[in-house]
Amino acid sequence: MSALPRSLRAQDFNLRLMRDVSTARALYRFIAGYRGLYAAALAALAVAALARAAFAYVIRFFTDEALLAGRYDRILWASLAFLGLAAVAGGLTFWGGRQAARTAEGAVRRLRVFLYDHLQHLSFAYHDRMQTGELIQRASSDVEEVRRLWAEHFTGVARIATLSAMSFLAMLRLHPRLALVSALVIPLAVVVSTLFWTRLARIYNAFQDQEARLSSLLQQNLYGARVVRAFAREAYEVSRFEVANALLHRRGRTMVRFHNIYWPSMDLLLSLQIVGSTLLGAWMAIDGQISPGTYLAFTGLLGVMIGPIRHLGRVFALSAQSLVSFDRIGQIIAERREALDDGDYAPEAAPQGRVRYENVSFAYAEPAGAARPRRRPPGVLRNVTFEAEAGRVIAILGSTGSGKTSLVNLLPRFYDYTEGRILLDGVELTRYPRRLLRRHIGIVQQEPFLFSRSVRDNITYGTDRVCTEAEVTAAAQAANIHDAILSFAQGYDTRVGEQGVTLSGGQRQRLAIARTLLKDPRILILDDATSAVDADTEQSIREALQRLMRGRTTFIIAHRIASVAQADQILVMDAGRILQAGTHAELAAQAGLYRDVFRLQTNLERELAADIQSARTAGARAP
Amino acid sequence: MTVADRFEEEEFAASLSGSALWRLLKLVFNYRRYVTGYLAGVVGLVLMEGTHIYLGKRILDEGVLVGDFARVQNLLLLWGLVSLALALFVALFIFCAGAMGHAINYDLRKTMFGRLQELSLSYYDRTPVGWIMARATSDARRVSELVSFGFLDFFWGAMSVLVFLGFMLALNWRLALVMLLIVPLMVGAALTFQKRILGYWRAVRRLNARLTGAYAEGIQGVRVTKALGREEANLAEFSGLATRMYSASYRAAWLSALFLPVVQVIAALAVSAIIQVGGAQFQQGRMTVGSIQAFIQYIFWMLFPIQEMARVYAQIQQAVASGERIFSLIDATPEIQDQPGAADRVSLRGAIEFAGVNFAYEPGRPVLRDFSLRVAEGETIALVGPTGAGKSTVVNLLCRFYEPQAGAIRIRGRDIREMTLQALHSRIGMVLQAPYLFAGTLRENLRYGQLDATDAEVQAAAELAGAADFIQAFAQGYDTDAGEGGALLSAGQKQLISLARAILARPDIFIMDEATSAVDTVTEAKIQQGMQALLETTTSFVIAHRLSTIRNADRILVIKDGGIAEMGRHEELIQTQGYYYDLYRKQFLAEAGQEADPFFGSRLLHA
Repeated sequence: MSALPRSLRAQDFNLRLMRDVSTARALYRFIAGYRGLYAAALAALAVAALARAAFAYVIRFFTDEALLAGRYDRILWASLAFLGLAAVAGGLTFWGGRQAARTAEGAVRRLRVFLYDHLQHLSFAYHDRMQTGELIQRASSDVEEVRRLWAEHFTGVARIATLSAMSFLAMLRLHPRLALVSALVIPLAVVVSTLFWTRLARIYNAFQDQEARLSSLLQQNLYGARVVRAFAREAYEVSRFEVANALLHRRGRTMVRFHNIYWPSMDLLLSLQIVGSTLLGAWMAIDGQISPGTYLAFTGLLGVMIGPIRHLGRVFALSAQSLVSFDRIGQIIAERREALDDGDYAPEAAPQGRVRYENVSFAYAEPAGAARPRRRPPGVLRNVTFEAEAGRVIAILGSTGSGKTSLVNLLPRFYDYTEGRILLDGVELTRYPRRLLRRHIGIVQQEPFLFSRSVRDNITYGTDRVCTEAEVTAAAQAANIHDAILSFAQGYDTRVGEQGVTLSGGQRQRLAIARTLLKDPRILILDDATSAVDADTEQSIREALQRLMRGRTTFIIAHRIASVAQADQILVMDAGRILQAGTHAELAAQAGLYRDVFRLQTNLERELAADIQSARTAGARAP
Repeated sequence: MTVADRFEEEEFAASLSGSALWRLLKLVFNYRRYVTGYLAGVVGLVLMEGTHIYLGKRILDEGVLVGDFARVQNLLLLWGLVSLALALFVALFIFCAGAMGHAINYDLRKTMFGRLQELSLSYYDRTPVGWIMARATSDARRVSELVSFGFLDFFWGAMSVLVFLGFMLALNWRLALVMLLIVPLMVGAALTFQKRILGYWRAVRRLNARLTGAYAEGIQGVRVTKALGREEANLAEFSGLATRMYSASYRAAWLSALFLPVVQVIAALAVSAIIQVGGAQFQQGRMTVGSIQAFIQYIFWMLFPIQEMARVYAQIQQAVASGERIFSLIDATPEIQDQPGAADRVSLRGAIEFAGVNFAYEPGRPVLRDFSLRVAEGETIALVGPTGAGKSTVVNLLCRFYEPQAGAIRIRGRDIREMTLQALHSRIGMVLQAPYLFAGTLRENLRYGQLDATDAEVQAAAELAGAADFIQAFAQGYDTDAGEGGALLSAGQKQLISLARAILARPDIFIMDEATSAVDTVTEAKIQQGMQALLETTTSFVIAHRLSTIRNADRILVIKDGGIAEMGRHEELIQTQGYYYDLYRKQFLAEAGQEADPFFGSRLLHA
């Protein structure tokens, strides 16, 4: 890190300052710390352009003062002057480019780090609302666009503008009237070029949209390969793809047609100016108003002045596109973070784990004009009241969308309830800092998310301290995953994921259990952790979970009665309400949803039990 | 596979493979007319540019310097006409290169997609979707850009250098010889320099892929990060990665910034040589002012073409790597193909026979060994057994998704290899545990089973599958959007749609592979009722863990250790007291535990 320039070491500039200001101001703030450098870089490009415009004067001197004047000793001077100017121009171009690169890369590095941190501090609600792919897109290609804005587009505009401007200045000094006449085409060329490229950008967007549609079609076909095969729909798929592919092809041809008109007509337009100016210049030279050297210098400058204008519109269009990316990133930056540390109650000791819900209601905030939600909000809560003593097991039963997960998601303050209150050890939840709550709550999900790093790192992922090898091993052993880990080629150093080992569902689950064991939370949430496990590992997961639950207040989310029958308290949920609450014995005795479902499920079990019993008797009778 | 892995991939060929380059060139030759057009366009363009400069010299020498304005006018008229021709050539080559680029892109996508429809499922087992996607999108685009504008620019660059040198030779061969020393230096420096820089950009791209991977993992794992309170540690790690990215890209960027000045300074050397040598020639009366001016112009006009050549030269390596990957996809041969003369219309109503089938997904790890089974028409067969024992393999082989290494499978006495895949698949209805739905309405998804089904038929099928209720509960009913991959539906709802889709296809053989595992008990019972008639008349294979589903089967097969371990009706297997008996007995013995056991009985009712 010490090799970094000072401006980079400082994380001092808060990009949140880019909120709520105009794009221009946001751009200005974005490169805080680099402003002087970037201005110097643009100035260097301007001086380099001036040096290149000065070539014309060397040509004039060479023609008039050396060749035509017969002063051949001056030829050497001319060639040295030319080399000198070229060295200056080259050196400054390089220096300017280098500093622009430093600005762009430095500011973008800052942006990347900020964005990463910002995203992990945005609320669950935000992440529910946003599509993962879209956020990744923002963080990768939009950031790249912003980099190019500073590294390429702004410098590109500067390069073209200064080259034209300096040539014009040089021409003005040669002969004002000639210069003015020759610049006639510039406004027209700028307008035509800008119009064309803006128009093309629209067509290009349509092209890209179609490309995205085609990709999505392909992706669905690949993920659905089994379905396509099973229904023998290959020909149908090919014809569907063909339609989209052909449209993309047509859109591509439309772009070609545009280029096909633009470049030749722009060339002709500029040629017209060149013919006119050359005619005037030649006439003035013949008339004796200007020297032959001036004529030469003038024709040389003419091309440099108007040629690059053709590309100006392109850089404009690219800049406009990058600015859209810049604004989109600005929208993310403007999102409010979830405060991790606000809250006035932060006891040193771990909480006991007594939880009380009082009349709690909760609804997902309607995203203001946001895109379609990633998934439908799983429901709301209405007047939920219950109490869990420390160390007890609470089971929450209900169908999908009944509010089970919403209920437990309020505990770590992933969402904030809208009415009522939740107490932990008698203190309202909102008084605890989120960080503290989350440190003491462990969650094991149905399909645990693992990170592409070593097995060890995945186990220690939830702890904010350095864990000893013995601790890690102990956790893995308690989770019944130790032996499986040792069977991997690199043991605990084996990487999880494509570049390492692919884990089975049961192994993933047990790794998540080990991770939670090491974290040692007071409150445990098992979110449907009971499904998606194969028969071979069921017993060992059962053991691991029992070890994990020991002495912790545990919430079990399930939708099968058999999974929850032993709980201290069972909450039956439907449409965001608690319909029934009590122990299995109580609930099985009273009329209601629980008993209905219970009977349906137990009938089967009873029949089976009868089957087994009869088989056993039959077996006993056999010799 | 974790999220971050997906973004890391080698983007460049380790070495230039001549054969891949040759195949890329051959793509171009499919479009002879465009190629001819663009070659003519480029040659014409370069000749016109050379002529422009030459005319500039004559205007100076024959007009301005001798005071002949009429001559100036005539030559400028000619200059204008050359401009017109030049514009036409520009139009010609843009059209040809552009049209060809898009056509080749279209061809590549079409060929790849067609090939992907033919490839066997084993190919998909081996190949991640992301990999295939990249071939059909960015690689196809990169290749078509290279073979159209890339090759064109390279050719244009080379032609410019050669033609301008030719003009120089004609003007003054002595000075031209000097240029023949310097110009190759310029070209050589530009090419090697660019190639060097590419190495640095390669490092940047690799880091960039890792950055994107880190973002992806950070975003997808954000809930875990929050739950575990990992924000600071994550940030520190990412910050380190971002700093490495900074160092790498800054180095690559400033080296790139050096490229143009270096070429320009070499060009300046050439110009100062022209001034020196040209001046001396002028002194000796061997050269005019106009010629010297023309030489300078020629050198300046070479700069851009040389840059372009260097750019394309660097690009070729990348595009060839893309090309190799595309060709590897196109060249992949489907492991299972229709035999010549295979029947393309068959009925599958009849007995099914597996005769001595051996099968392994990977050599040396056999899944089925000498597997034989005879199923009568209309029979319902349930398959149970430990994970990985080969339950799904049996039905996969029946569908000919995979080919057995030995033995044969016959339906109605006819080997399934004697039918086309199309014929076979269109008569088998398969419902999977994790069904895939396509983006589009529910109705469209249901119709996938039978493209010309009427609305009434669609609804009847949904009714049978127990899907009608929840579909009607949606505000838009059958026109509700399923979302990409069915993302807007729950797992259970997806299973029901998938079931209805298969029912709609009215298959001769019905296969349900854990098809209702995510459906609640009540709905499950309803489905069974609804499908009773269908299952009675259609030969069916059912893979399930739920006892209710299994018990109704005509025959239950316990698949274990590569073969059939037990076979019979439910009562018979219970009596046998083997694996089947054990499997269910275990669930009840576990009852004793005092602590809440989230797994109690779940195998029985859930799994």
